[in-house]
Amino acid sequence: MKVLLVEDERILAESIAAHLGKEAFIVETVHFYNEAIDKISLYTYDCVIVDINLPDGLGFGIVDALKQMKATCGIIIISARDALEDRIKSLEIGSDDYLTKPFHLSELNARLKAVLRRRHFGGSNDINYQEIRINYNSRRVFVSDNEVALSRKEYDLLLFFMSNIDIALTKAAMAEHLWGDSVDSADSFDIVYSHIKNLRKKLTDKGCNDYIQSIYGIGYKFGAP
Amino acid sequence: MKLLSRTNLYYISFSVITYLIISGSFYAVVERMIYSEVEERLIVERKDFEQFIRAHGMWEESCYFVENKISLRTVPDTLATFSSFKDTLMFNRYNQQLVPFREHSFYSKIDSKQYKVSIRKSLIESNKLLKFITITMLLSLSVGLLLLFLFQRRISKKLWQPFYDTLSKAKSFEVNDGKGLVLQKQDIFEFNELNSELAKMTDKISRDYKNLKEFTENASHEIQTPLAMINSRVESLIQEKDFKRHQMGWIQDIHESTLRLSKLNHALLLLSKIDNGQFYEQESIELGKLIVTKLMAFDEIFHMKDLAVEYHKTNDLTLMMNHTLADILITNLINNAIKHNFNGGKIHVTISDSQFTIKNTGEPLRLDPKSLFERFKKQNQSSSSLGLGLAIVKKICELYNMRVDYSFAGEFHSMTIRTTIA
Repeated sequence: MKVLLVEDERILAESIAAHLGKEAFIVETVHFYNEAIDKISLYTYDCVIVDINLPDGLGFGIVDALKQMKATCGIIIISARDALEDRIKSLEIGSDDYLTKPFHLSELNARLKAVLRRRHFGGSNDINYQEIRINYNSRRVFVSDNEVALSRKEYDLLLFFMSNIDIALTKAAMAEHLWGDSVDSADSFDIVYSHIKNLRKKLTDKGCNDYIQSIYGIGYKFGAP
Repeated sequence: MKLLSRTNLYYISFSVITYLIISGSFYAVVERMIYSEVEERLIVERKDFEQFIRAHGMWEESCYFVENKISLRTVPDTLATFSSFKDTLMFNRYNQQLVPFREHSFYSKIDSKQYKVSIRKSLIESNKLLKFITITMLLSLSVGLLLLFLFQRRISKKLWQPFYDTLSKAKSFEVNDGKGLVLQKQDIFEFNELNSELAKMTDKISRDYKNLKEFTENASHEIQTPLAMINSRVESLIQEKDFKRHQMGWIQDIHESTLRLSKLNHALLLLSKIDNGQFYEQESIELGKLIVTKLMAFDEIFHMKDLAVEYHKTNDLTLMMNHTLADILITNLINNAIKHNFNGGKIHVTISDSQFTIKNTGEPLRLDPKSLFERFKKQNQSSSSLGLGLAIVKKICELYNMRVDYSFAGEFHSMTIRTTIA
């Protein structure tokens, strides 16, 4: 999977590239509008992540260029501007998602995967990890072909975990993924904890290995122990 | 009081006083003149009388037809001379009326006998004249005064018109427009000065306001970027495995603090955006529906904190509001009711046609209720709360001419929002 990252802040670009690189994405990073236009006219990508404010232009222009080329790639806009108009405009001109800075890298990762899943609908509808299988069209979860009945939030949590295999997830990132930023953090951390407890129980009850590991002080990690 | 009515009032009172003084002195002068004229003629008659006495040595009543024109009365012989003028009323025998006369009295010797002689002259003609002159004069003065007054009113209105134009333009001045007032050049120096000063001032205000607005937004964006970097680095850091426990704790502290900073920044930006009127889009919002949706979103938290939520609606309440702001308003109020509640507490939401109330149980308020809606006022200064939630609620209410009030009754803290729209 090839991803083009257009972000002028070098440190942020580097962190994103490193994070996504772990997930077997091939990430190319450019810092300028013109570089990005050159790249997309020469190569095809599975997804383009664009910052709106670039030193030599607005990221919206890159989205327009991609749409004119009838490119099939997914587009995610990241911006420090949290204006509703920007959000609406981004989605209107054809980007798939909009993330406001600062965001959690794990959130970007999950959104990227969701965009890619939606784009490649010709392929499989399933996400697999060891004995766990998620069919995201029907929102059903199986452990070795036995269905596990999960609540909505538990399902979202599991999907978030499965999009971030072997990545340490902070409680804040998980809470924000589940509720956005409207719910107060102190309360939501406790709910994250109780959801995880239930999810773990439901999975292990069906004979699943316990892949959810807690990391002291930080949060959780999903993957082989 | 309006400027025109005030000047008119001064003008009228001043004119009336002047008018009275002029009329009074005019009357006095004319009267004085008439008297001196009459008295002169009386003196001439006295001379005629004395000449007649000297020539004939006696006085014949029959010389004069008019009754009581000259009357004589004997007085005891005295050496003193006497001469006086006075007003008197005499009875007119034809029309049975008392008629004013001027009387000149003096002593005279006829046939070595001392007499008091009184010569009288009717004032009736002179009085008529005086009356006529005065009325004519009063009438013409009044007409003149009235004309002057009307003219002055017209002139003032015309003169002050540019001022009223400027005033109405100043009233419609919007600081958001980003430009000062555009005012026409006037013929009158003072108004021209006023206009140019106003134009300069409003222009500066608009520009400063715009600069400040841009500064707040830019500052917020500039803060957001390094925060994003710190966060991304922290997230990369926690992926590493060889940290000690306490080091992980530090990293978590850094992570949470930056998140908090970022939220704070967001909240401040929101406040300044509301101030700047950047949420101008409006739609009609069914508040009951919105509140139910929000209550459902908070369901898990109610469950966890074991809160009993009651929702009661007597009437639909529909408001014209920006959707984002309505959302934030309700979310903040519910969050507030949860945050200051205790486990196993209650939350009551009631909606009627002109207000809605969110009540919650909780610890007694230690803050001054008046400062409750101020920025950074917190019940517990060390709490993780930003202290901006209710400030934002208040700001949103102000934007839409609503009122938010806090009250405490029984076991409930209530936040009541009253709308002006019935």
